[in-house]
Amino acid sequence: MRAASFTFAACAALLCGCGGPQTSQANNAQANISNDSRDVNQATGSNMEARLSLGDAAKVMHARHEGMETIGKNFKVLNRELNGSSPDLAAVRASAATINQLAHNASSWFPEGTGPDVGKTGAKPDIWLPQNKADFATKLHNFQVAAPRFNAAVSGNDLNATKASFAELAGTCKACHDKYRTDMHH
Amino acid sequence: MPRQVPHGHAPLRPGDGLTQPVWDAPVRLVHWLLAGLIAFSWWSVHHHHTDWHIWSGCAILTLLIFRLLWGFVGSSTARFSTFVRGPKTVFAYLRGGWSGVGHTPLGALSIIVIFLALFVQVGLGLISEDEDGIYTGPLSGLVSINTSDTARDVHELWFNVVLGLIVLHVAAIVFYRVRGRKLTMPMITGRAALDPGTQPMRPGKWWAALICLAVAIGIVRWIVAGAPPFGHWTPS
Repeated sequence: MRAASFTFAACAALLCGCGGPQTSQANNAQANISNDSRDVNQATGSNMEARLSLGDAAKVMHARHEGMETIGKNFKVLNRELNGSSPDLAAVRASAATINQLAHNASSWFPEGTGPDVGKTGAKPDIWLPQNKADFATKLHNFQVAAPRFNAAVSGNDLNATKASFAELAGTCKACHDKYRTDMHH
Repeated sequence: MPRQVPHGHAPLRPGDGLTQPVWDAPVRLVHWLLAGLIAFSWWSVHHHHTDWHIWSGCAILTLLIFRLLWGFVGSSTARFSTFVRGPKTVFAYLRGGWSGVGHTPLGALSIIVIFLALFVQVGLGLISEDEDGIYTGPLSGLVSINTSDTARDVHELWFNVVLGLIVLHVAAIVFYRVRGRKLTMPMITGRAALDPGTQPMRPGKWWAALICLAVAIGIVRWIVAGAPPFGHWTPS
């Protein structure tokens, strides 16, 4: 089971890594920033669509789980490379591109009706409370801004800038997880 | 008639006439700091302060290394050579045939097991990384991602072993208390009433304690700073 999910994650990472944007990352970053407000509205379902059917909810939750797991896996790769004495820049760039792609996909990961009342998930129901919607949207937005920035930073050869940008990106994960993610144990 | 002069660690003041030194300051400090840091480690990791949790683990490692060294050069009751005993002595103690100062043969066994369990726990923590890949232990870069993830799972499970040993430790103190032996105050004040004829603790040298501390801090700093062969570690 575990091996299977690792294999899946690895395949997903490979696919995304190959298909990720290779050129003009700075432009992509700009484009993503301007698109974010629209993405975020979709993310929390604030356009008052009807609740998802159970089947659709399961699909979204599965994509979310796999996506988050792949992001985590790539973070672990990045930790190793960036903390090591001679980082493998190709691996760093592939992981940054994967995370950037998944950050973009994350816009569709949190529609209403995909909370713990529907299925097993680490997402707290607080995400969809009316008083938290704006805050959650901001936190997701911060992640979606930091991911392309990091992806742009790794295209250069400045290791310190890359590390600083990576720390910033990790900070956006933590800010949201601290508040909206339960401690999951697989 | 010559005036009677107290010798050795015999009481000098009438107020503390019944107690003698049994635990030195380093032993007591290590004990209470460990208790505090273990509690803090548990709290911090459950309240999204994994960074503090990692530093707390590094502090615990420093204490463990210090205590290990102090076990060779410290006061008489701190030394492994005075309290690590074979099963024969443990059974003799259980039948009531033992008297002395410091760890009882059974208590010594429990202290050694707790000590080893904490070393295992810290070792697992050093190579762990969190589920999200946001935090890494100082030595996690030395092992594969799978090993690091497994180490984290075992680290979490192993805490139950540590917790069980702590519960046993506290239960033993309560058991002795019910039978009329107070063990907590001596661990605070360092002094206890001894049976007549029992040799009191022989203190260690303060400068030896400082050297042990410096070595312990040096080793942990070496690990954390990522000096060779450990590689670089960036605290999150």
